[in-house]
Amino acid sequence: MPEIFIDDKRYEFEGSPVLLQFLLDVGLDHPFFCYHPSLSIPANCRQCYVEVGTPVPNRETGDYELDENGERVIRFFPKLMPACKMEASDGMVVKTHRSSELVKRGHKDVLEFILMNHPLDCPICDQAGECPLQIQTYKYGPEGSRFEHKKVHKPKRIKLGPRVILDAERCINCTRCVRFTEEISQTHQLAIISRGDKNYPATAPGREFDDPYSLNTVDICPVGALTSSDFRFKARVWEMNQTPSIDVTNGKGANIDIWTRDNLVMRITPRFNPNVNDYWMPDFGRDDYRRMNENRISRPEVKVDDTRIKSSWHNAVLTFNEYLSGVNNKEILGIGSAFSSVEDNYALNKLLNRIGVSELVFTPNIEEGSGDGFLISDDKYPNTNGCRLLGLKEMNPAGLNKAISAASVKVVVMMEDDLVGRSVVTAEDLKDKKVIYFGSNNNETSKLADLVVPITCSAEHTASYVNVDGRIQRTIPAKETLYTNRKLNLEMSVGRLDRYATKYDNWSSDDNRIDCVPAWEFIENAAEQSGQPFNFADARDVFEDLSKSIDAFSGITYERMDDELGVVIAGSEKQKVTSA
Amino acid sequence: MSNEQQYTFSKEELAEIEKIKAKYPDKKPPVMPVLWMAQEKFGHVEPEVQRLVAETLDLPEAHVYGVATFYTQYYKEKMGKYVLDVCTCLSCQICGGYDILHYLEEKLGIKAGETTEDGKFSIQSVECLGACGYAPMMQITNDVYCNHLTKEKVDTILDDLKKDKLPEFEQIPFPQHQNESSKS
Amino acid sequence: MSTDWKSFQPLLIPKIPNLHKIDVYEKNGGYKTLKDILTSKDHTPESVTNTVKAANLRGRGGAGFNAGLKWSFMPKPDGGPRYIAANGDESEPGTFKDRQIFEYNPHQFIEGSIIAGYAMDITAVYVYIRGEYRSWINMFQKAVDDAYAKGYLGKNICNSGFDLDMYVHSGAGAYICGEESSLMESLEGKRGYPRVKPPFPAQKGLWGRPTTINNIETLANVPLIMKNGSEWYTSIGAKTHPGPVLYGISGHVNKPGVYEYPTGMLISDLINEVCGGMRGGKKVKAVIPGGSSTPPLRGDQLDGVRMDADSLREAGSMMGTAGMVIMDEDTDMVDVLWRISHFYHHESCGQCTPCRDGTGFLEKTLIKIKNGEGETRDLDLLLDLCTQIEGRTICALADAAAWPVRYTITRFREDFEKRVKKSAFALA
Repeated sequence: MPEIFIDDKRYEFEGSPVLLQFLLDVGLDHPFFCYHPSLSIPANCRQCYVEVGTPVPNRETGDYELDENGERVIRFFPKLMPACKMEASDGMVVKTHRSSELVKRGHKDVLEFILMNHPLDCPICDQAGECPLQIQTYKYGPEGSRFEHKKVHKPKRIKLGPRVILDAERCINCTRCVRFTEEISQTHQLAIISRGDKNYPATAPGREFDDPYSLNTVDICPVGALTSSDFRFKARVWEMNQTPSIDVTNGKGANIDIWTRDNLVMRITPRFNPNVNDYWMPDFGRDDYRRMNENRISRPEVKVDDTRIKSSWHNAVLTFNEYLSGVNNKEILGIGSAFSSVEDNYALNKLLNRIGVSELVFTPNIEEGSGDGFLISDDKYPNTNGCRLLGLKEMNPAGLNKAISAASVKVVVMMEDDLVGRSVVTAEDLKDKKVIYFGSNNNETSKLADLVVPITCSAEHTASYVNVDGRIQRTIPAKETLYTNRKLNLEMSVGRLDRYATKYDNWSSDDNRIDCVPAWEFIENAAEQSGQPFNFADARDVFEDLSKSIDAFSGITYERMDDELGVVIAGSEKQKVTSA
Repeated sequence: MSNEQQYTFSKEELAEIEKIKAKYPDKKPPVMPVLWMAQEKFGHVEPEVQRLVAETLDLPEAHVYGVATFYTQYYKEKMGKYVLDVCTCLSCQICGGYDILHYLEEKLGIKAGETTEDGKFSIQSVECLGACGYAPMMQITNDVYCNHLTKEKVDTILDDLKKDKLPEFEQIPFPQHQNESSKS
Repeated sequence: MSTDWKSFQPLLIPKIPNLHKIDVYEKNGGYKTLKDILTSKDHTPESVTNTVKAANLRGRGGAGFNAGLKWSFMPKPDGGPRYIAANGDESEPGTFKDRQIFEYNPHQFIEGSIIAGYAMDITAVYVYIRGEYRSWINMFQKAVDDAYAKGYLGKNICNSGFDLDMYVHSGAGAYICGEESSLMESLEGKRGYPRVKPPFPAQKGLWGRPTTINNIETLANVPLIMKNGSEWYTSIGAKTHPGPVLYGISGHVNKPGVYEYPTGMLISDLINEVCGGMRGGKKVKAVIPGGSSTPPLRGDQLDGVRMDADSLREAGSMMGTAGMVIMDEDTDMVDVLWRISHFYHHESCGQCTPCRDGTGFLEKTLIKIKNGEGETRDLDLLLDLCTQIEGRTICALADAAAWPVRYTITRFREDFEKRVKKSAFALA
């Protein structure tokens, strides 16, 4: 295998990796700004300097030339080379700042130039705390500035588009944002304008940066030049917890990080998954934090004499069982949901099957032609394929309407899906029927229900979803409910504020913890109350149970989903995400 | 908002643009020649003109904006009818380029980078124009070069320009041709 | 070294009235060399390249690289398009020579381009001319039209079966576009951002195809070489840097202008004999030999310094474009250096950090010194900044910005010392 020597240590490599990426991959920290693994490489920031040499091949023997000590003769490039523009080659010798004073000086020099015209406004900058410029200045920068002149002034607080704000003075001209709109989203909405130190990225005059992926430029901006108009000034990075999860706003299931503070979701950012979304996600998926925070159903509700009242969980379980046992099993209709997880659909289906109700029915929420072939799918729900694989009965909206409206149906049990809001059914259709609704947010359908069971949203539970390409991926709870505790649940992340806060600190409260449980947990309680528990203690139990009983899920575990960045379920594999 | 329709290319100009396109194997290269055409016609390449160019060539507007702002000869805003580009770089600097610039500023009552109120003149201090041996010099509206400037010559040029009379191209004899001929 | 420069007859811009007209050019033997090459069996693309290589025709655009050797880097033809980009951007302060070719002898350049095109199996020549040269672009376009009309360009040139197109492309005000990869970007309709090398233009140039970039004057030399042979050519001027060259001389001399003489001329001859001495009989303080980026030489150290690559290297400078700026004893080197720095600051494309911000740092520090607010440590700071800038960027503009600063300060330090206060503290 070809070898490379970095700071006198030998490494092996395969193919011809970009040297900078290789350094990072083997765990050697190295400063850089303009390089991004999914974008073209302009080598313009000049931050990732290394000294590079190659052995000298002997044309006759084919071996490398040796010096009098029998050591390979290494021919070094006469200048510092940007590691992002070098490919590793066999026998290459690399000196980083760890072993070369020249490289150290090079890193410092470039940072001095970058900081020259960069405002010293970290204390009020959103990027602070996760800013490559800030971090690398600490690690590699000069101790002070020798620049005693006026900085170049450029436009500030420019609303580039509905979601992105530009501070051109902070921009270091890495061109990542421009390359993103050229190479990834391909809207070509941004360009670097002007020349020299007056350069900055802009839209054409009078045009908006309304790229449906515009917020990705905020993520990849290595400074605070591009910020999200929504998240701006809301939270400091170090105050938040970061939890890996899955985007449920459409069928692609982009991998995301959910950022919470005091159990409120502050923002959602994409998480790298080369098989699904690379480093990107659509803008509207980030807006989903509102659904997680606002308009939540907290504490069960029952209808008594046409009045909705809050109820205890005990009463809710009793009411649930009463509704189901009060009618003939043929008079019960169970409706699954492509919006809900595999676990929740499975648990409800299992319970209803046991009392003789046939498979749940469901209708996907697909808007033909609304997708873009990239990270926005026609399918607006995250788990249509999951419902199909569970064997639920797929119906078109008209079919489902007919099934619900049938006079024979007396009780309708619905997993979270706003069928009234989607105009699949009307209030009229549901009249004279007992409606049980499992949901996390108030909506047109929950309003009509006789029993509303508040359930956890995707930010609060562990659950799996099968995306449009047949890949099953899972969430990890990011936000505590009244009944979960991040210090006890070992999967939940514990941030600085959680770790050190007490109830008496003003940054921590119980206000944002919702009184809800996962749907499967309520179903387990109902089963237990009727004397036949399933013994599901957590989501893992539910998944284990279904993976044993349903062939499609056989052999799949949460561990595999974690390790393999999601598992493609055999037979449902479609195309991979391409960023071209 | 001004009327976008005021900027259009005529049929003949569009035919000319087709000819320009034929010179290149790709759709981006005509952007510079077409910006030139547009500037010739409209006197500037303000955003709406850039938009016209982008639409005509089917290119992203941001790209055209980026190109137009990179090159200093494109007027991104309206300029005076006659733009006096005075070279002040190196050879012209040491041969009195700034004197000419300041003389012009004084005469027209504006500073470099400004336009007279009547919209007739703009003055710019520009980088080397490639007439170093004929310093000091200036160029008028991206076109004719006026070499070996003196205050008197500047006076004449300004007087002529006020009457919309552009100076003619000055052919500067190649010295070796001249010397020989004077000897023979 | 020939001492008979006084009897030298210009070859690039020969003394023939109306030579820019195609009929006159033809009447004086123009395009004969081309016809000969295209139609005779004695010539092959390889033989032409080899002749030019043997003539040691060194690029006249600044770098001075052997043109024939550059041609030989072109890969074997694969049937796809291949280009020459002829560089007529000349924007380096002090340089005004290529416009003389457009004005006085455009067809010799066109002929040279076609011969080069034949040697490298080129499909199209793009002639990039700086936008300010509107008058010369028009003149040159006329010459190209005439060459098309006479069948020297286009399909089946001189019935040889060889096709070649020539297109004129106007710049629009950007010094950086004289850098070969930036020129290609500009030709491709983009901002003139230099490209990272490798890949080199011969592998991936215009539109990803093999491309050679040559200076206008370089290509104008080609018909001379092909007509008279490489031996004849190498006998002209300096041994290692032969041929006729257009010296663009400006500044404080009596008769500034462009002169054609062999390479290797004594700078003192050029000033005193060719240009009629210094204005007002003043002393020479400084000479910039090849455009603003080349390090200035002191007037009292010009003895025996000749205008060729070797002699200038020895003297501590470079041939560059042979655009010489002569400065007299009254010249303030602080002002001159500030103006040069201003130029590079203004012209930096803004792509690489050390150049984008470094050129501004240099200029702002020089303004401080110019205004009498500088300290001695600022001089050391300037030299340190040069170290931070040189060799750290994609293209050579940053080097071109740093060299004049470094060498003007080190060679004319007394001018700077006079303008600065003594520092209480040394540079950190």
